[in-house]
Amino acid sequence: MSGKQGSRRVAWRAGVLTFAIAACLGSVAGAIAARQESALPKPSAVVKPSAYVSLEPVPRGSDFEVAVVIEIARGFHVNSHTPRDPYLIPTTIKAQPTAGLEISGTKYPKGRDEKFAFSPDKPLDVYTGSVTILLHVASRASAHLGANRLPLTLRYQACNDSACLAPVNVPVNVKFDLAPAGTKGRAVHSEIFASASASH
Amino acid sequence: MRKVFGGILGLALAGVLGAAGCGHNTVSAGSSAGSSSVGLAEPQVTFKDLQGASVPLVSLKGKVVLVNFWATWCDPCQAEIPTLIGLQQKYGDKGFTLLGVAMDDDGKSVVEPFVQKTEFTVDGQKRTMNYPIVLGDDAIAQKFGGLIGYPISFLISRDGTIQKKYLGMLNAKEMDQQIESLLSSAPAS
Repeated sequence: MSGKQGSRRVAWRAGVLTFAIAACLGSVAGAIAARQESALPKPSAVVKPSAYVSLEPVPRGSDFEVAVVIEIARGFHVNSHTPRDPYLIPTTIKAQPTAGLEISGTKYPKGRDEKFAFSPDKPLDVYTGSVTILLHVASRASAHLGANRLPLTLRYQACNDSACLAPVNVPVNVKFDLAPAGTKGRAVHSEIFASASASH
Repeated sequence: MRKVFGGILGLALAGVLGAAGCGHNTVSAGSSAGSSSVGLAEPQVTFKDLQGASVPLVSLKGKVVLVNFWATWCDPCQAEIPTLIGLQQKYGDKGFTLLGVAMDDDGKSVVEPFVQKTEFTVDGQKRTMNYPIVLGDDAIAQKFGGLIGYPISFLISRDGTIQKKYLGMLNAKEMDQQIESLLSSAPAS
């Protein structure tokens, strides 16, 4: 092989390599754009709620707290409990009436002001990442002893940086044991409650 | 070495072919918004307007129509309304109409005050929505392929064929081009 042939071959390979890298980058960019358009999840899949009870067991007649930790999918936000625009749907949690159990207070975390591509000048009051809602619950003498359940409904409306999903109601089941009055309840999940109290 | 080059070249060609169909924000087949309806005839659907009158989509045949699904609770939907007002203002007397389909669960009770009272800044002037608003629901969304995200818009040519589907906020320049192109095509006979 002559020197000329060798240098032509090197030049050809360099050209192919340049084209290939450019095309691959273009492909990746295209794929990302396509994914942004096609990867919208169902509204109910954007938030994963988990519930924790502050006492184990809960003595009948005592008050206790429930922490509902909501994990919001990366790239999404939900409105806080107090959005500024009256048309926006706030994040709320409601309990279904349950014999002997009474919600005596609900504390929502403060939202964060964030700007988005569709709202570059007007920050929105939103939740992102992980936030915790605290409920104060009173157990009455009529509460059912043993394995217990407090059904909650979490309502939220999520968006990403370009589109919104419909508002949705998601059930959250709080399970705990209710012991006879006078039983000593052990404080559990204290790190969750301490961290949540600090952010409210 | 040759194998390596062959592999890279193959990837590159696949990339070029894959990227070729990626428009700016045109949703393609199999998207999150359901199976693609682009290229198909518009669905046979009748909306109700805010006065309760029926508005069959077919009644707009002969016009270029942009069907925009939105909701009062949807911030990006609100953010694109000035663009939509501008499109209606620019092309409304040239054979084009926008049709806003409100997807609020509470329907007229929340949509009507929003439409009547909310002002948007368009070219420095305060304007309310200047295009027809109708009410949508899940059954109507289903006829458009099942809608997950909002805003989502369908551009329909004069002959009633869905030409483009856009998820997310519309790009005003792109819409100008698309609408002008469709308006310049011959009206349906």
